This record gives sequence, C-alpha cells and structure tokens, in this order.
Amino acid sequence: MHIPLFGKTIFLTIDLVIAWSLLIILLSTAIIYVVRKHKYPVIWEYIRTTNHRKIGTLYMIFGFLFFLRAGLDALLIRMQLALPNNNFMVYQLEKYNETFTSHGTMMIFFAAMPLLLGLMNIAVPLQIGARDLAFPFLNALSLWLFVAGGVMFGSAFFLDSSPAVGWTGYAPYSTVQYTPGAATNFYVFGIQIAGFGTLLTALNMIVTIIRNRAPGMKLMRMPLFPWAALITSFLILIAFTVLAIALYLLMFDRLFGTTFFSGEDGDPVYWQHLFWFFGHPEVYILALPAFGLFSDIISTFSRKKVFGYPAMVVSLLMIGVLGFMVWVHHMFTVGLGPIINTFFAVTTMVIAIPTGLKVFNWLFTMRGGKIVFTVPMLFAIGFIPSFVMGGVTGVMLSLTAADFQFHDTHFVVAHFHYVILASTILGIFAGLYYWYPKITGFKLNETLGKWHFWLFLAGYHMTFLPMHITGLQGMPRRVYTYGSDEGITALNFTSTVGAFLMGISIIVFIINIVRTTRHAQPAGNDPWNGRTLEWSVASPSPEDSFTPMPLVERTDAYWYAKKHNENMKVAENPRHAPIAKDTLLPFLMALAIFVTGFGLIYQSYWIAAISGATIFVLFIVRSFNDERESVYGRGDVK
Amino acid sequence: MNNAETALFKDKQLGFLIYLGVEAIMFMVLFITYFIYTPASSGPQPSDIFNWKTVVLASVFLLSSSGTIFMADRYLKKDNGKATIIWLLITLLLGLAFLGVEINEFASYIQAGYTTRTNVFMGAFYVLVGLHAAHVAFGCGWLTIILIHFKRKIPYTLFLEKQKIFSYYWHFVDLVWIVILVIVYIPYL
Repeated sequence: MHIPLFGKTIFLTIDLVIAWSLLIILLSTAIIYVVRKHKYPVIWEYIRTTNHRKIGTLYMIFGFLFFLRAGLDALLIRMQLALPNNNFMVYQLEKYNETFTSHGTMMIFFAAMPLLLGLMNIAVPLQIGARDLAFPFLNALSLWLFVAGGVMFGSAFFLDSSPAVGWTGYAPYSTVQYTPGAATNFYVFGIQIAGFGTLLTALNMIVTIIRNRAPGMKLMRMPLFPWAALITSFLILIAFTVLAIALYLLMFDRLFGTTFFSGEDGDPVYWQHLFWFFGHPEVYILALPAFGLFSDIISTFSRKKVFGYPAMVVSLLMIGVLGFMVWVHHMFTVGLGPIINTFFAVTTMVIAIPTGLKVFNWLFTMRGGKIVFTVPMLFAIGFIPSFVMGGVTGVMLSLTAADFQFHDTHFVVAHFHYVILASTILGIFAGLYYWYPKITGFKLNETLGKWHFWLFLAGYHMTFLPMHITGLQGMPRRVYTYGSDEGITALNFTSTVGAFLMGISIIVFIINIVRTTRHAQPAGNDPWNGRTLEWSVASPSPEDSFTPMPLVERTDAYWYAKKHNENMKVAENPRHAPIAKDTLLPFLMALAIFVTGFGLIYQSYWIAAISGATIFVLFIVRSFNDERESVYGRGDVK
Repeated sequence: MNNAETALFKDKQLGFLIYLGVEAIMFMVLFITYFIYTPASSGPQPSDIFNWKTVVLASVFLLSSSGTIFMADRYLKKDNGKATIIWLLITLLLGLAFLGVEINEFASYIQAGYTTRTNVFMGAFYVLVGLHAAHVAFGCGWLTIILIHFKRKIPYTLFLEKQKIFSYYWHFVDLVWIVILVIVYIPYL
C-alpha cells in the first residue's frame, strides 16, 4: 500500500498497515480509558514504585503483552505452513524469516524471562519472609530496562526493520556484510538492554535470598521456589554475562568495523560457542524456576511435604552445574570432531539423571496424598508427562550420529517446544493461578481456568506431536513452505489447528482475568490452605509485610502452625528491612538508555552521545538522592 | 555502625562483590577473545606497536593509586577527614594521569592508521583495553562524586559505606590492569 506522507510516498506491506492500525486503535483506547476513568494516580504510582509485588505485577503485564505479540507471530507462521505451497498474506521468504526470528526472540527474552522474573519478584520475598528485595531501587531499574529492551525489539517490526537472523543470530549472517541496516541492530541492542536488567535482577535475588530471610529460615528450610530462584540467578549471572560480551563484540563488528565473526581472520564458530555457552544454560534458566514452583504447588495440593527435599535441592544444583557443560550439543554438525562431540553427548545424557530424579520425587510427593484438583495443580500434573516426552527426545538428540539426521528439522522444533512449553509456560500459568490472590486479592475463576488448561494442553500436543513426524520425514525448520507430494500436509494442518486451540485458550484466560477483576469476591489470606509463609500475610501482599516478623522453626512452618492451631512465633529484633522510596529515576534511566540504543541502532551518534551523557547525569542525581541518607547516622539505635 | 547500618552495608557489600564477579566474567571473555585473535595474519602486530615506556608509565600511575586509596581507607577508619581527602585526591590525580597516558597511546595508534577496522588483533585490543580505560574513567567520575559527598557532610557511616564500595571497585580495576599487563602487553614487549 502506498501512503503519501509529507510529500513523499511510503510503501507499506499489508501486514504493516494492519499492525499500525491496530496499534493506533489499541493505544487510543487505552488513553481514552485512562482519561475517562482518571487512572493517572495508578500509573504515577506504578511508574515510581520500588515494591517487589508491584514491580512483579508490571513484569507480568508487560511480559504477557509481549507473549501475545510473539504468540501472534506463531499463529502467522502456522497459517503460512498450514497447506503446501501456501501464500498466506506476505509471510514468505524474508518476511517469514522475520516472523520466526521475532517469535523466538520475543518468547524467550521478552515473554518467558520477564514472566518468570515477575513471579520470582512477587513470591520469593514472601516465601522467605523478606520485606522486599535487597535493593528496591535496582529492582525498579531492572524492570524498566527489560521494558525498554522489549519495546525496542518490538518496535522493529513497526519500523519495517524486523531482524531476520533467527533468535540465535548466527554469524556471519548477522554481520554487517550480509544484513546491513538497522534490523539486526534491533536484535543486538534490544537483547543487550533487557539482558542488563536480567543480570541486575539475578544479583538482587541472590542477595535477598542470602541476606534477607526471616529468622530461623535456614537455607534448607526454604520452599523449593526460592531455591530454584537462587540457583537460576547464579546461572543468569554467568550465562547472561557471556551473552552481553558476545553482543558487545557483534556490536563492534556491525558498527565499528571489527571482524571477530567474519572475514579473513574472523571466526563464525566463535559466535556459536559464545552464544550457546549462554543459550544452553538459558534453557535451564527458563526451566528451573518452573521446577521449583511445581514442587511447591504439588506439595500444597497433595497436602504433603515435598518428597526427598534434600534430593530436590541437590538435583537443582546438579542441573545448574551440568547446564554449563553441554553447550556443544547444539553444534554437533559444526565439525568439532568425534572426541569433543562424544564428551558433550555424554554430559548431555547425564543431565537426564537429576531431571529424572525430580520427576520421580514429584510423583512420590503425590503418592498417598489427598490430591486437590485445582487449576494450578492441573497445570502441574499436565506438566509432568509432557515434559518427560520432551526429555526423551532430548536424549535422542544427544546421540551425535542420530543428531546429524535430526539437526535443523522440525523434530528439533518439536523437542524444544515440548520442554520449554511444558516447563516454562505451563509453569507460568500454574504460578499465575496459584499466586493471583497474593497479587490482586482475588482468585481466578476455576471453571474458566479448567477450560484454559484443557484447551491449552490439547492444542499444545496437537501442535507439536505431529512435528516429530514431519521432522523425521525431513521437513527443515526455518523454511516457509513444503511440497504437496511430501506426505506431510495433514500433519502440518493438524499442527495449525492445534496452534489455534492454544490461541483460543489464551482468550479464555483473558476473559477469566477480566471477569475476576469485575465480579470476584476477595479471596482472603490463605485461599489454597497453603504451607509456606506467603499465605500468612494479607492478600494482596502489603508493602510492610511480615510485621511482626515470624520465627521459622521448620520447613513449611506455617502449615504446622495451622495444624496445631497455633499462631506463628514472633521473632525478636529482626534485621532492618531494605529501604524503599518511590522514585522516578529508574524509569528515566531506562528511558535514557532506550534513546541511546535507538541512536546507536540508526548510527546517529549525536543522539547517542547526548542521551548517553544523560544516563551519567542521572547516576549523579541518584547519588545525591540516596534513600539511605534518611536512615544512616543515627548513632547506636537499632 | 549500628545494627541497621551494618545489615544494610553487608547487603550492599555482597551485592557489589557479585557485581564485580560479573565484571570479572566479562573481562575473562574479552581476554579469551584477545588470546584467540592475537596475532592476526596480516596488518600490525603487537610487538610492532607496543611501547614499553607507555606501559610502564601507565602501570606506575594505576598500580600506585591502589596504594593511595588504601591509605585513604586507613585514615577514614581513624576518622581523620583531612588525611582521607588528601589521599583520595592523590588517587584521583593518579587515575587521571593513567587516563592521559591511555588516551595518548590510543591517539598514537589512530594517528598511525591503526583503528578497530585494521585487523582482528587491533579490534580485540581496543574492545578489551578500551573497556578497561572506560572503567577507569567511570571510576574517576565516581571518586569526584564521593569527594563532593564529603564536602556535603553526609552521615559518617554512609560516607564510610560509599568509600568502601568505591575502593573495592578501584582495586578490581587495578587487578584487571595487572591481567592486561600479563596477557596483552608483556608477551610482546
């Protein structure tokens, strides 16, 4: 479509016209809603907040928006692949590449990660008896950095410069020689900015869990979700740091003419090593928090303590350590030689041991328990067999010789969707239903929740189960069509129907949220008859939670206090809570970084320099508005 | 420091040490990068361009500044404000002198036509040593702010905290320089 603008005509493809129209309609509806209902105080409050629950809520909201966007990409991909030699709208060739790149990158970095970080933000402090994260200001900064990165990456499509290099950004294709222009820069800077936010959250989480637990809450008395959060945070610290440097080097290749990943002396395989040294632990960064929260949910709704708690902790640790020793299994076909490939094949198989241990412990936790089939529990039960199927194909893929056949086919697509959807996405939904009362004070509707669960589970298996077979038939990933004589038409069409079932289930979920917001009754502090500390505080959790501070004398202390009809003991002299003070600075800092990123993407160095200087000015402003100044220097008072 | 201050300081201390761990991993990857790409197959070689005088001068400035900030720490513990400030000022001057030498070194390479585009060795050199120089520059800015805080007379315990966190940073930047010496410069002098 040709659109006249300022005397020039701009050519826009039909999908961009639709997307822009939708964006304008949605934004104006949102603005009208805010103006009509006078919602500015809420926005003003949330933009300046440093409270862990509110920040967690913002993580969930933005993460869910990006999840919808990336899900829409998935539906477009499935529409294009529904029939052989299909020409669905414009989604062929380069546009198809852009769509799967956006889908993968957004799902991993801007949907799954923030949704998990949001749940950690909301639940971890409440589960360990901390009044907030250790560094509330830093927490707000992490959030806005993620939002800045996400909006930056998301805007690439609207500016008709979506990156098309795959979520792995393989060099030399991602270097300036093959993909000049802004598109790949959006990939580099979008992930870099959000990645810094993730790093800072991980740091914050570790300090909180190590230093801010309630008195008596020893490490081995913690629920398993904080344990998973702790180990995940260590993985983030290592993996995202390596990714940050990989992107830093790629940025130099793209903007400043270095040749690390291409050219005479450059080495594209070095990018692959750096990327997968991040990329494989990233899989566990997505999975471990889900493992943790499933453990808590299964234990709560089986009315039993977790079976083999120490083994659960040790297996989390083992998965974390082994996660750094398997990255080459993504690169078996690169040609690193049989010795190296064999080593990494063996380490990959070894990971099945701690993971299998967890699966058995979940089953033994349920065994003999009084199972209550609530929606979070359904998600947990649906997770176990689905995840095991993904695990089994994982072991198949670790066989190097076989991997040469599976590599880059839809078999791999089926495998990683099976593991990531089963653990991360089912986990996020389970966590959302489980902690929704702690976030909003209301319980989501169980009937609609069950519709959501069954539609999603059916759609999920319907989409990805056929991909195993199409993959074995040789259907390559990242190719936008196939022939009608290849015998994979029916399977592909089934996948497409399944994808739309998942889409419908998400609509049911949205209806559930809207209905709950309008009609639900307050859920009370302890709607699930829970075991851990978060159910002892009010719903939604107050900003001064844990006053008075409980004394924790055993695992699941709150459950045993309830069972014996006692109140929890009160701890004398708890440590000083982290100091929270509402401030606009984190938002402004992220905004300045956002503008700097855009300046660098379009290589207008003046804008980058000015907004870059603004970041440092904001650092100085921050230093002179230190919330600690109000607390320090009062002598020997407690 | 009272109980509240000690607890909050220990939070910050642990958080900052973890942050330095993150930085250490970043530099480690850059050291590996330098190690892989040096020497390059064509263009300038490290042994052609490095000048031992600049390296020694820069090292003297930066390494001695670790000593001066140690002195500042000691006087601050004794609550001797004047001596603290003098040692901090010397640290700042040494940091700035180091930066001057570095800028001079980079400028001489660029004048000779050796930029990031020249070859992979120069690229790996600039991304590593340049990032370290940026850390020193950031540190100089940070130290200036700390000196202003001293002038503002913020609570003694808060100043102590800020000063301690800064000195961890400064010692870390020094440590990275030593590794740069060992891996980047000394094998080729």
